[in-house]
Amino acid sequence: MERFWQVLAQKGPYFLATLVGGLETTLVVAAGAMVFALGFGLVIALMRLSRLRLLRWPAIVYIEFIRGTPALVQLFVIYFGLPDVGLRPSPLQAAIVGLGINGAAYLAEIYRAGIAAIHRGQMEAALTLGMTPLGAMRYIVLPQAIRTMLPPITNVAISLLKDTALVSVVAAPEIMFFARNLVTETLQSMHIYLMAAALYLCMTIPLSRFVAALERARRAWR
Amino acid sequence: MLKLPAIYAENYRDWLPEMLDACLGTLKLAAVSFLLALVLGLVFAMCRTSSVGLLRAVSGAYVEIARGLPALVILYIVYFVPPQLMPDVALVALSGFSAAVIGLAIQGGAILAEVFRSGIEALHKGQTEAALSLGMTPAKAMAHIILPQAMRIVLPPVGNYAIGLLKDTAVCSLIAAPELMLRAKDLASSSFEPMAVFVLAAMLYFAMSYPLSLAVRLMEARLGRRG
Repeated sequence: MERFWQVLAQKGPYFLATLVGGLETTLVVAAGAMVFALGFGLVIALMRLSRLRLLRWPAIVYIEFIRGTPALVQLFVIYFGLPDVGLRPSPLQAAIVGLGINGAAYLAEIYRAGIAAIHRGQMEAALTLGMTPLGAMRYIVLPQAIRTMLPPITNVAISLLKDTALVSVVAAPEIMFFARNLVTETLQSMHIYLMAAALYLCMTIPLSRFVAALERARRAWR
Repeated sequence: MLKLPAIYAENYRDWLPEMLDACLGTLKLAAVSFLLALVLGLVFAMCRTSSVGLLRAVSGAYVEIARGLPALVILYIVYFVPPQLMPDVALVALSGFSAAVIGLAIQGGAILAEVFRSGIEALHKGQTEAALSLGMTPAKAMAHIILPQAMRIVLPPVGNYAIGLLKDTAVCSLIAAPELMLRAKDLASSSFEPMAVFVLAAMLYFAMSYPLSLAVRLMEARLGRRG
């Protein structure tokens, strides 16, 4: 037990500095994937809501398949599989696209549920009052929908942040990548993995508290 | 990409038995973790709703931490740390399977604790009081009033958790637990057809999770109607 504190005092700062080196990639991957997912998810959601079967079915297949398979497999297909067909993504590209594609499927469902939840009467009333459909969307439907969708969207963001740990296996230099290498070097698995855990908690716990606060505020507003 | 059907036709006789066998490993891993997570979830849900402040605080911290960590980190800690801490104790040098079960159950217990807690809290205390005042025994009240309502609230999230668990078993390949992804990685490198093998793995995961998600949706529809 004494050794724990000894090692922590001696090597702790070095471990922490190395892990924090991975933090930048973690945040870049998470942010990049989230932006990709927010945009692409909207496209898929609109396809899903379309009246054309040609657009609806591919969207449905996409959503069901991506949500039904693990993110790790998707990452592997992109990073290790695509070179077979000529595309050679970098670890970072594979990470962002892989997690983005995964997040987009979940966000598409959230968008769909959120838009559908806004009473059709709102749209009708807006149109009766002389608004254009676009204006009605912008000023009436979307502001209400976004309020409902914000907690689940933030939850997707939290999952995305945790899933960045997976991209260490496609050699993206994020926290777990550095952690694993450090452990191989120094065999101090406990200190290093506990520190890595602490780093993740510093990111996810504030976000979870934020979601909880959002949901409380929403209930109060009702 | 277009070569895939040809690749599969050529290799399925070698690949499929292996991969299906690995699927059994995945299902076994998921099932055992699920059961353990159910138990842990119930225990910690009780702690979370207990009147003892210390129990509430400790279980609250556990839930927040276990839910806030990536599954991979929990698995690494369970697999690598005990042998380092206690190199002489053979018991803590867990196999890939055991570490995977424990790690996934630790996270699952936290997730289910919150699910059960909201189920417990959602039931108006008045229900039990009303049932008892109508002359029902506590057991009858539980069986006819409380549990049916609790099931309706709790079953869909538990079902969704099960689907997520099935997918999370893929991460256990990184601590050498015997499941599908581990076999897929071996096969991909030995066959030099990573695209085909990983797409096959994806299809197998889908084949395992889709029936579950259909079942959950069916359950939600049925339970919703009777409400």
